[in-house]
Amino acid sequence: MITRQLGSEVRWMLRRPRTIIGLFGLVLVPIIISFGIWTASDEGGGGPGLAAILKGNGMVVPIFTLFLSLNLLLPLVASIWAADGLAGEAQHGTLRGLLVAPVSRVRLLFVKLFGLTAMSLFAVTLMAVVGIIAGTAFLGTDGMMTLSGTTLSTAEGLVRIVLFILLVTFQMVSIGAVALAVSSTTEHPLVVQAATMTTIIVFQVLGQFPSLDWLHPFLITTGFPGLIDVMRDPIPFGQIWDSTLLAGCYLLIGTGLAAMRLITKDN
Amino acid sequence: MTTSTSAPVTAPTTHAVAARTKGLRKEYGSTVAVDRVDLELPEGAVLGMLGPNGSGKTTTIRMLLGLVRPTQGEIELLGQRLPDGVEQALPHVGALVEGPGFHPFLSGRENLIRCAAFEPLLPKKQIKQAVEDALERVGLAQAAHRRYRGYSLGMKQRLGLAGALLVPRKLVVLDEPTNGLDPAGTREIRKIIAELHEQGSTVLVSSHLLSEVEATCTHVAVLHRGTVVAQGELTELLQAGGSALQVITPDVETALGALRQAKISARPLGEGLRVELAGTSAPQVIETLVKAGVGVYEATRWKTGLEELFARLTEAEEAERGMSSVDTLDGGRR
Ligand SMILES: Nc1ncnc2c1ncn2[C@@H]1O[C@H](COP(=O)(O)OP(=O)(O)OP(=O)(O)O)[C@@H](O)[C@H]1O
Ligand SMILES: [Mg+2]
Repeated sequence: MITRQLGSEVRWMLRRPRTIIGLFGLVLVPIIISFGIWTASDEGGGGPGLAAILKGNGMVVPIFTLFLSLNLLLPLVASIWAADGLAGEAQHGTLRGLLVAPVSRVRLLFVKLFGLTAMSLFAVTLMAVVGIIAGTAFLGTDGMMTLSGTTLSTAEGLVRIVLFILLVTFQMVSIGAVALAVSSTTEHPLVVQAATMTTIIVFQVLGQFPSLDWLHPFLITTGFPGLIDVMRDPIPFGQIWDSTLLAGCYLLIGTGLAAMRLITKDN
Repeated sequence: MTTSTSAPVTAPTTHAVAARTKGLRKEYGSTVAVDRVDLELPEGAVLGMLGPNGSGKTTTIRMLLGLVRPTQGEIELLGQRLPDGVEQALPHVGALVEGPGFHPFLSGRENLIRCAAFEPLLPKKQIKQAVEDALERVGLAQAAHRRYRGYSLGMKQRLGLAGALLVPRKLVVLDEPTNGLDPAGTREIRKIIAELHEQGSTVLVSSHLLSEVEATCTHVAVLHRGTVVAQGELTELLQAGGSALQVITPDVETALGALRQAKISARPLGEGLRVELAGTSAPQVIETLVKAGVGVYEATRWKTGLEELFARLTEAEEAERGMSSVDTLDGGRR
């Protein structure tokens, strides 16, 4: 029963026009990045810039892509899914249908969280795969050069990419969980997206003020840059662990609030 | 079993009641949507819920389905106490509440398949067939492949009905099912309700269309300003609530005296008198009159239609206020 419900949820998300458009947009990012680097390296002149460093280093593209997208694009996509998941269903009156079926409210939240996770993992993986392909096509691949200056074999590079996919997905899901909590309080999906994106942007701005450094450890966005440690050799897990733990807290709090709200909600 | 009459009503019993509420109250902030609603939905009945706009029909239905938590009061649904038993009860309940709710970007069929995936009583293998059957039943088979976005009001309503009928149900709750339907659609709904009734399902249908309720329902509950002002079997309600006996007789005085002695209210009218049948029956009245030696030339039943009953129950308020003062004045003079 539960697998059937989870399957239905993911299929429903995949059928949404905006999901398809969103995925299409996400896939464009690594392609554009690869293309940009390729054209930059074609100009030839200048010192050893980004292009020169990345020449023959196509496997960096997926990591670079995800790292960039995590700041805005991936939270946006997560917030859209979270918004449609509860607020959107409430708006269309379909939430009532699910509750009368019946799906218990706790299970409904689980289904929604699963859909969010599955789709996030799918989107991030898709971006990474397209990144690998585009990076290889435009820049070529001879292993992966790390930030520490060493070069990893292709296999090792792939392991790093998989690790990065998981880490980024987890960040995305945590943001989505908080967005789900917002989503459970309203019937307007746009409110959820606006609230989530505003929060992410405000967090990033707050992160710029040294005077607020006492606040920084609590902002989920503070954890984003540390994830790039995946590209060092050997990997220093300190920051990665901190970022993930912080995201985990957001996930728990978001899920908890959403559950509390959903259980007592009138529909 | 013999002591079952003394058992507490609140215990889940095999008592033939599909749903029951006790002292139901719902407040939204300072608005009281529903208050002191004691509703009884006998098993196998078709209960028509009547009431003007904003009288609390939808709110009551939502509470009955566990969608909204009552501020006060108890609900029993298919032998389960809410909110704890809601998951045992709801699989057997099909509902269409406050209009159909579907996803605009999916076709009618896809929407139903999504609904079906969440129906606990529907095995996976039967989903396809159940969806096709439901579509056929509401006359949507031709349009099933089209996007819900493009559906007309009536088609949307039909799809909502199909969702409620995906699984054989013990109880079907329809909130204004004929909303937006053409006359043919209205007839079809009537037919579907009749079929459900024949199959032994209980039906709760709220409606503004009195003729609709009169034609399809066995029971009626009238809501007014959040409270139930009348409920019971349709025929009984129409008789007790509104029927009177018009008796043609020359001995009006004797007749009035005899009836007063039997505690039956009556008043002179035209060539005879009008006898209220509240708390009594026509044969009883005639028997009383004949025993008193009153010559009865003719006795005719005056039956109120549902429309008249409804109007009296729900529109009386303002008139009542004016009348009650007259009543008090009248009483004072006596
Ligand atoms: N979510 C809500 N918030 C505030 N007030 C509400 C809410 N839902 C219902 N009400 C109020 O409760 C009262 C009863 O509403 P309800 O929808 O139950 O009426 P109804 O009998 O279904 O009316 P209609 O025939 O128009 O459908 C109304 O006064 C309405 O304003
Ligand atoms: Mg209503």
